[in-house]
Amino acid sequence: MTATALAALFAAPLAVLPVQAVADAWRAPALLPQRLGARGLHAAITGQAGSALGNSLAVAAATTALALLLGWPAARALGGRRLRCLTPVLVLLAMPLLVPAYATGTGLAEWFVRLGLSGGRLGLVLAHLTVVLPYVVLILATGFGERLQELEEMARTVGLGTPRRLALVTLPTVRPTLAAAGLLGFLVSWSQYGLSLAVGSGLPMLPLVLLPFIRSDPQIAAALALLFLAPALATLAIAARASRHQR
Amino acid sequence: MISGEPAPAGLVCRDLVVAPGGRVVLRRLALQIPAGTRTVVVGPSGAGKTTLLRAIAGLERPLEGEIWLRGRRLDTVAAHRRRVAVVFQEPRLLPHLDVVDNVAFGLRAAGVPRPARRAQALALLDEVGLAGLAGRRVDGLSGGEQQRVALARALCVKPDLLLLDEPLASVDPNRREGLRHLLVELQQARALTTLLITHDQSEAAQLGERVALLLEGTIVQHDTPRALFERPASAAVARFFGTRNLLRGQVRGGRLPLDAGWIDAPGPDGEATLAIRPERVRLDPDGPLRLRVVAASYAGTHVRLDLHGHGLTLEAHVPPAAAPRVGELVGVTLPRADLWRLPDPGSQAAERDLAERSTAGPADVPAEPAPLP
Amino acid sequence: MTIPTKRPRLPPAALHRSDRPAVRRLPIAVMLAPAVIALVLLFGGGLAGAVRQSLHPTIDGAGPLDLSAWTAVLGDPTFADALWFSLRTALAATGLSAAAAVAIAVALRRQAALPRFLVALPVPVPHLLVATVAVAWLGPGGLAERALGALPIQLVRDRAGLGIVLVYLYKETPFLVLLLLASMGAELTRREEAAAVLGATGWQRLRWVVWPTIRAPLATGSLIVAAFVLGAFEVPMAVGPSYPPTLATYAAEQPQLDLVAGQAKAAAALLVAAAASIALAAAAVRLSRDRAPCLSVAGLALCLRPVGLSTVGAGA
Repeated sequence: MTATALAALFAAPLAVLPVQAVADAWRAPALLPQRLGARGLHAAITGQAGSALGNSLAVAAATTALALLLGWPAARALGGRRLRCLTPVLVLLAMPLLVPAYATGTGLAEWFVRLGLSGGRLGLVLAHLTVVLPYVVLILATGFGERLQELEEMARTVGLGTPRRLALVTLPTVRPTLAAAGLLGFLVSWSQYGLSLAVGSGLPMLPLVLLPFIRSDPQIAAALALLFLAPALATLAIAARASRHQR
Repeated sequence: MISGEPAPAGLVCRDLVVAPGGRVVLRRLALQIPAGTRTVVVGPSGAGKTTLLRAIAGLERPLEGEIWLRGRRLDTVAAHRRRVAVVFQEPRLLPHLDVVDNVAFGLRAAGVPRPARRAQALALLDEVGLAGLAGRRVDGLSGGEQQRVALARALCVKPDLLLLDEPLASVDPNRREGLRHLLVELQQARALTTLLITHDQSEAAQLGERVALLLEGTIVQHDTPRALFERPASAAVARFFGTRNLLRGQVRGGRLPLDAGWIDAPGPDGEATLAIRPERVRLDPDGPLRLRVVAASYAGTHVRLDLHGHGLTLEAHVPPAAAPRVGELVGVTLPRADLWRLPDPGSQAAERDLAERSTAGPADVPAEPAPLP
Repeated sequence: MTIPTKRPRLPPAALHRSDRPAVRRLPIAVMLAPAVIALVLLFGGGLAGAVRQSLHPTIDGAGPLDLSAWTAVLGDPTFADALWFSLRTALAATGLSAAAAVAIAVALRRQAALPRFLVALPVPVPHLLVATVAVAWLGPGGLAERALGALPIQLVRDRAGLGIVLVYLYKETPFLVLLLLASMGAELTRREEAAAVLGATGWQRLRWVVWPTIRAPLATGSLIVAAFVLGAFEVPMAVGPSYPPTLATYAAEQPQLDLVAGQAKAAAALLVAAAASIALAAAAVRLSRDRAPCLSVAGLALCLRPVGLSTVGAGA
């Protein structure tokens, strides 16, 4: 009972978004829109908003892929508990998450201008990496624990070489954690504001485009917000299915 | 199975039906423990021993049935008001308190002021032999030490009933003797009604004045340890306590005919199942049975033989010096005095027998001499 | 007496460990290198760049080291207001989230996985989205106002920063709840049972068994939340007042206000925010290390704000 009440409490407010997105006219004090239309949705996928969507998707995907690649060996080292002095590594991983991203971005902006990365997707990927990489490493490390090591040792004693071991034992075992890290990394990059503002020098990204509309045009803001929400909903759906599978 | 009146100062469980998590585990269980005595409930894993303990402690609500302690109805009372103390399988100490504060926890909950409860806790730590560890943190202690602290903590509240769930399980085998003696000493000093749980039948025999066997949700026999080993009430009881030798047939004129020969049998004529412990099976060249040794394995104190012949399978434990070789044909005697005739299930005599035994007082020594193997 | 037995023949693959050549493993440094180098370059570069910027208050960032931007910022009353505002907001958001999280976690601790999953719903939702919804409901002319006639207090773009606090309350409470629930596992239930049997009432169990278990992760998590809210950027822009700004918003304004030294002042302000966040985080690490000498990586991963999933750690 408490649970359903809580769930309703947390999820219900979001219900206003779909309504607002299709409300061409919704003046106070009416509780329901006066006129419905597709203006908001249209604006959300064309023009600057449309290219913002594309940029955010591309940058998030690329950042996540790069983070998984760079983070995999570090996660193995952390998860395998081979480190004796864990703290400096954890500190290095934690700092980018706690220091305001806009601060990091501002500092990077100058270097990127010099390197010609400013305003391009590559620059954004590198900037986003500062926050995505730590999350990816930390989440991925939880999947490289003792259980995996035991399975890999078993595979070694049975005679599997490294590539086959990777394919037959490591990847299947790590798959859920890999998915979690990937989804999480994607979400972090997708939601990122400060870094995109500082380093993007105007390149449209979804959260950057969304913010001004919140004050100026609620309908377009709602439509953009729904698009903005989509990966989070997908993540929840995947997590729901995954935890049901586990039972 | 048990007569109606609750024992005035002991524990009485009547018609208990408990279904933790939806699955019925205890089926109309009945158990009576006289005040001041030590009873062990023994049984295989999953039989319901821990469920019974939790129901008595108040951690599990029974669907039906009653629990009485010292004349008070217990199952309608919340767990923290039952005056029942539990020593769990794991010590379950609080890591943020030191040893003394852990022991004094129950008194703190009762509102006893700090100096008084510390003094009582220290006295108890002394009794369990941990006087020097008073100020220590809990996670530095060994498993056995933690269990002693848990024991001190349980005794500190001066409960009416003490429950122990596999108290020796987390203790090193070579330290169990010490803890076992301590348990018995403390219980006897306080004349505390005590119920212990274990899955190990020899530990049950050593710890309990009476032993109750819990199989598939009910108590099938509640008796002295000796009776459970030597006079089991059913084939299931016999098997649990190590007797797999069961002979069935028609007794006529004091003899039971078998394919392999005939043997002297106790009791009147009629359908019978006889049980004999493996230690009592005697190898005797003049014996009435002729069996072949099919397998033999050395078990330290004895050699375990599997004997086959004429459709009969017997297990025998013999001294290593006298052990025959595999493949040999040996003569076997089953001494009449060592044969136990299982009571017919459902027979009135058997029920009366069991009922009498369950309400009997502390252990009485049986008349028959018991030659040790 | 001989007991004939058959000696089992070992399969050829199961060689004894000592017969095989030692497994060659990559040294830890090599394995950590890619991630560490990337972070040192990017994050370190970012911080270094900000420091450099703050010390060169000129349009093109050239010239000698100059602390004038720092003195200007630290002496600016608007900056003081912004600092105070950020601290206030962080404190309020953290305090309220912590209190709510304790209540929810205690209520949920024996529930099945589904309620916990439902509580975690807000976690992957982006902050800006919550801000959008907050404006739709609580803003002037928003649905709450239409339904109730008029709101007693201004909740969005108010000088007290209530809107900001509410958004972070919505987002951070589930994170703290998950963190607390992670520490309230089967072991806590066992200890509570032991305490109950010893005579402790429900309230006593909460005070003497449950609270001591959760106070450490709560403190750590709260410091993390505070550190995060201190650097708040897009949320105050969406639902915060125009005055006072938060530290990050203040920094964002500077380049327009001061064409020459604006960038440097922005960098200086941001570094102050960064320093405050680092100080809080250091306190959090110190706290959690005292309780658990060997920090579990999984525990820290949860600690550091997963934006997502309650299935994290499924592979561990």
